[in-house]
Amino acid sequence: MDEFGPYDPAVDYTSEPAIKELRPGAREATNWKPLNMTRRNFLRGVVCSGIVIAGAGYVFSHPTKARADTRAVDRLVSLTVNGRKRQVDAPPNETLAYTLRYRLGLTGTKIGCNRAECGACTVMADGVSIYSCSTLTHRLRGKEIVTIEGVAAPDGTLHPVQQAFIDEIGPQCGFCTPGQVVAAVALLNKNANPTVDEARLAMSGNLCRCGAYDHYLRGVMKAAGRA
Amino acid sequence: MSDVMHDFELYQPASMADALELLDDHGKNAWIVAGGKDSLDWFKDRVMTPPVLVDISGIAELQGIREEADGGLWLGAMTTLTEIAESDLVTAKFPALAEAAGRVASPQIRNVGTLGGNLAQDTRCFYYRDGFPCYRAGGNTCYANTPTAMNREHTLFEASRCVAVTPSDTAPAAVALEAEMVIRNEDGERTVKAEDFFVSPDIDITRMTVLEPGDILIGVRLPGKWAGSSQYFEKVADRNVWDFALVNVAMAAKLEGGRISDARIACGAVQCTPRRLTDVEDLIKGETPDEELETLVARVASSGAKPLNYNHFKVPLMANLAKRAVRSLA
Amino acid sequence: MSYRLIGKDFTPPDLEAKVTGTARFSEDFRADGMAFIRILSSPMPHAQVKDIDLSKAERVPGFLAALTPEEVKQPAPPGQPILSAEPAYVGQPVIAIAAETEQAAEDAIAAVDVELEPLAFCVDPLESLKPGGPNATLGGNISGRGIDYQEVKWTGRDFAVAGDERLPMGNPVVEWNFGDIDKAFSEAAVVVEESIVHASNAHHAMEPRSAAAYWENGKCHVWGSTQSTAFAQPSLATLIGIPPSDLVFFAEFCGGGFGGKAASYPLMALPALMSKKLGGRPCLIRVSRAEEYYNGYARAGFQAWAKMGFRSDGRLIAADVYVVQDLGSTSGFWDFNNVGSATTIVFQPENMRFRAVPVLTNTVPKGAQRGPGENQTANMFEPLLDKAARELGIDRLAIRTINAPGGGGKDAKYGKDQGSVTSAYLREALEKGAERFRWAERAARSGERNGSKVRAVGIGQAYHSAGSNGFDGLVRITPDGVLHIHTGVGNLGTFSYASTSRVSAEVLGYDWDRCVIERGGTARSIPWNLGQFGSNTNFTMTRTNWVAATDAKNKLLAIGAMEMGGEPEDYDLADEHVVARADGSKRMSFADCASKAMALGGGYDGHEVPEEINPLTKAAVAAIAGTGLIGVAKDTLPKDGTVPALAAGFIEIELDLETGKWEILDYVGVADCGTVIHPQGVAAQVRGGAVMGFGLATSERHVYDPAYGRPGARGLYQAKPKTYLDVPVQMGWDAVDEPDPQNPIGAKGIGEPLEGAASSALICAISEALGGHIFNRTPVVTDMIVNVAAGRPQSHKPLQTNCE
Repeated sequence: MDEFGPYDPAVDYTSEPAIKELRPGAREATNWKPLNMTRRNFLRGVVCSGIVIAGAGYVFSHPTKARADTRAVDRLVSLTVNGRKRQVDAPPNETLAYTLRYRLGLTGTKIGCNRAECGACTVMADGVSIYSCSTLTHRLRGKEIVTIEGVAAPDGTLHPVQQAFIDEIGPQCGFCTPGQVVAAVALLNKNANPTVDEARLAMSGNLCRCGAYDHYLRGVMKAAGRA
Repeated sequence: MSDVMHDFELYQPASMADALELLDDHGKNAWIVAGGKDSLDWFKDRVMTPPVLVDISGIAELQGIREEADGGLWLGAMTTLTEIAESDLVTAKFPALAEAAGRVASPQIRNVGTLGGNLAQDTRCFYYRDGFPCYRAGGNTCYANTPTAMNREHTLFEASRCVAVTPSDTAPAAVALEAEMVIRNEDGERTVKAEDFFVSPDIDITRMTVLEPGDILIGVRLPGKWAGSSQYFEKVADRNVWDFALVNVAMAAKLEGGRISDARIACGAVQCTPRRLTDVEDLIKGETPDEELETLVARVASSGAKPLNYNHFKVPLMANLAKRAVRSLA
Repeated sequence: MSYRLIGKDFTPPDLEAKVTGTARFSEDFRADGMAFIRILSSPMPHAQVKDIDLSKAERVPGFLAALTPEEVKQPAPPGQPILSAEPAYVGQPVIAIAAETEQAAEDAIAAVDVELEPLAFCVDPLESLKPGGPNATLGGNISGRGIDYQEVKWTGRDFAVAGDERLPMGNPVVEWNFGDIDKAFSEAAVVVEESIVHASNAHHAMEPRSAAAYWENGKCHVWGSTQSTAFAQPSLATLIGIPPSDLVFFAEFCGGGFGGKAASYPLMALPALMSKKLGGRPCLIRVSRAEEYYNGYARAGFQAWAKMGFRSDGRLIAADVYVVQDLGSTSGFWDFNNVGSATTIVFQPENMRFRAVPVLTNTVPKGAQRGPGENQTANMFEPLLDKAARELGIDRLAIRTINAPGGGGKDAKYGKDQGSVTSAYLREALEKGAERFRWAERAARSGERNGSKVRAVGIGQAYHSAGSNGFDGLVRITPDGVLHIHTGVGNLGTFSYASTSRVSAEVLGYDWDRCVIERGGTARSIPWNLGQFGSNTNFTMTRTNWVAATDAKNKLLAIGAMEMGGEPEDYDLADEHVVARADGSKRMSFADCASKAMALGGGYDGHEVPEEINPLTKAAVAAIAGTGLIGVAKDTLPKDGTVPALAAGFIEIELDLETGKWEILDYVGVADCGTVIHPQGVAAQVRGGAVMGFGLATSERHVYDPAYGRPGARGLYQAKPKTYLDVPVQMGWDAVDEPDPQNPIGAKGIGEPLEGAASSALICAISEALGGHIFNRTPVVTDMIVNVAAGRPQSHKPLQTNCE
């Protein structure tokens, strides 16, 4: 990589400030033509000009508040996470991954896609592996949730899956690893001695962009012997 | 591009009565959520922003699998795809449905995704999902049906303004197995044959099924007629996990003395609704499955297809899948 | 050469954090009062911002502040600004808003009224080169490293002469040659000539490039996701507009980069700028998957043409190559240059001409992706070797071994100047792989039918330049006797930050358990190191750790002589002691030496440093001066020639002619990576590279609607990286394990060519299964196979790109 020369102290890396000092009202002082377009007009405008924008509701005009209805869920929800009862104040549109990460401080669960496609957010709910990024927190009321933080023994002894992943160098970058661990633990809880094909199928909802499938699978099979 | 859901009110009724009342009260503002695997993406993209969500997954009545008097099965709409794929009853009687359920997306999706949700899911047309104001979205253009558009995954048959396809794996199995969908609303209950459950764009371009606001699909009845018959399911997708079918096929057939006495076969992802291959059914009834029959099956299976620019590969693929289904009877 | 640590497996110290979820990635940053940022991205492929009305957004409860393009520094076009007033691709950030919650930020973004004036756009480089064709940016359509930003149009004649099936070849922007290709072609026994398309594809690292920042006491603290720590510091500081010394940078873990997070990037600076506007308040941007697609770069696609002339024994005597690169909307990466250099090193053509034009398009910015240019070269040209072998009637392994550089590479030639390489054992990799894979036996049964299925084998090869020099090493022995190895290289997931650090322990004879790696942020006093990219870490960092440890060793010996009498040459290091060669009882522990170094001061404890080390290293040493014995040095070891990482891959597949689906029955990858310093690490790279390669070969690609310029492969299910069920359960690996003479322990790079070797092997095997049909298009997707098997034409036009 000769193309990247060493950092050159002679170069002034700070010749321009990246952020200009803003004085109040600076934006109005530009010569940009003010135009009062509504979002709907904007949308129509871009479609007419041959470009379209996503984001407008075609079926539902706008997220209008429904009338007060006492049957709707409260914000407060009680969850059991890694054996502990947790009272959480979460709006109805919050996902479990978000609640775990941003309200309960359990950042081991990762959001890789937020679209139920990658598996980095995998947790167990009543022993079943789920994508927490695409499950509403209020759906988990009364369920036993186990995250990556709840996999090791209370004294910190690693779960056999975790130890086997270390032995086999399962992770590369490590971002998908918590999800891979939880998926593997969920499998072994259900089937202590899976065949390699069963293990592969059970793990198949977890993407690894580093391509460490082979190493993870070796880890799962090794852990199966120990779990 | 948005990634955070809009504000909505969430209802989690525990009974059908409560659910129906909520749907009645909120009318078109209400969106039914089952597993949520299709719904939440719409909300995160903010292409669909319903103010009211009715989560029907907690209704006990909609759960579970049970045997029926005629040897068939009742599958609650909220039964998960994993339960269906792993059920001894389904595997024994209707392996085509079990396999179809087992090929949906990924394990975590199947653990939460429901049969009802998989059957009623919306199309994956890129333009429609991206928020283009197409016919299906209430506009007056199809963005996919142009010579240069991305239409590799679109229709071969029965396009009517819209060229989107059904993405469901369980839908063709339901059609092949002559399933009946049981729907309930405030006015009562009705039963719809699987073939009639799915709606083509010439009937209503804005929806994929007969379900209307206020309706809940409560379950699927699989008649005993096909229980234990010879069945086949195959899905071809680019990836073997988390991918939608390029084409899938489901078949139920009966053999008597080496001849095919009865058969139903359907393909998904080739038109807006699961396509029953009646020409193939007519051809194979009374025939002995052999290589010659396979050749004939391939000849008629996708005849009449009107491919778009990027999807003509589906013509031979569909023919080959029909052929493989019939081959499985040999 | 026998080593205690080099070549042995070990447990990298960050593994436990990875398996327990305690590894902290940038989106795991938390602080009281943290604000959340969301961005408004361009819905149009090319537009000019005419007006921004924030009045409604400002009324959204929780709104804190907005940043607009005019508030951030705009690089010279076609650079990539943090926020753009002339967005040049769908998804380019235009406005950022911070709010009390993520939802409030998103709601405020939805309430922004922005007027965009659509501009002409293009998603096909050839369209832009047509007379009167659209330019992707207002100032032109051509850019690239060392190339003036300009407009280039070819003539109508250029296109007419080419027709629909052959690459039009107007005036190139880059051209070089050696030898006499016309003469060589006239002497060739077989000439193959093909026009080829290679798709662009997204990096899609599992961790989106989320970032967080706050300001405190005049310093800006940033948490970012990057492959590199030290190397990212000055450029990130530049983006933020501060001197590097005012930046406190944390980058302990990186959830995948593959070149897409090589160092810093504009989005990483966004929270710092927003935080500055909010008086230093902590700000976090959680980057979504779609935003990662838009801002996470992509491998550059090509429309290409190649003509290759072979002697009857398979030797490549003439290569004529022309590539049109899809740059995306910025000056991108120099993949095009790497096509030229990779062709020279892997195939060693005796005569060659190379021409290239890099063209701007209104697609996401392209960046380096694992083997940039080189892996596309493998996918484009390896099938041509097979075609020539078939025409010549020689074995597909033979045509590779006759051309591949081997025997150490003394006769190997590299690049347009036909320069030297430090070592090359590609031929040996082929031979080793062939033996392990049982190539002869499997090739004999290649083409066997079983019902609708065909078995087929394929071979692939690839290269990447894999080693640099001139960076600094820093080690420290504290008075407790512990060795601290300071490394600024980054943590991409290859564990090479650790395996290269072990060189210091090897030099000093340390027990590995008594070593600590100091890394992951500027606060850990890291030396100036090259980034963790370009497969350079093994070569570059073993050298820096070698020179730093050698400096420490010299200081230990000097202290030993000082304390125990005699000259440093009279002493040796053993068991973490300085021991007299003549009398083993005369010994002094490293711990005591460290205390002595602190008493001595000066160069011993870091109060004086060599003049030639980098200012950033000097700053790092200053922070730890007086805390132990310091070893610090710049790598001035000799280096002459290019350091090639090379690889060969062997694959057997079974392809179903009825469905277009295939299954990999076996794969073996062999690396020419010099001395193997960490066997498990090499294994992980061979297999991981293969998995990524299989995606590159058969499913991953960019798709853009040409009428609207919107991307169709944003999400993971559309971009289609491979899953557990698309790849073999187990894969074989091996390494030539011949030391590179220009590295003190013989190490060189590993990771990048392992992807191209696997991807090209798979493409060749698919072609073999289809009776030698060459697709001349990567990826080879299911429908393309179905069409060939059914005797149907393909849907795409021969040179069409960014299409389905």
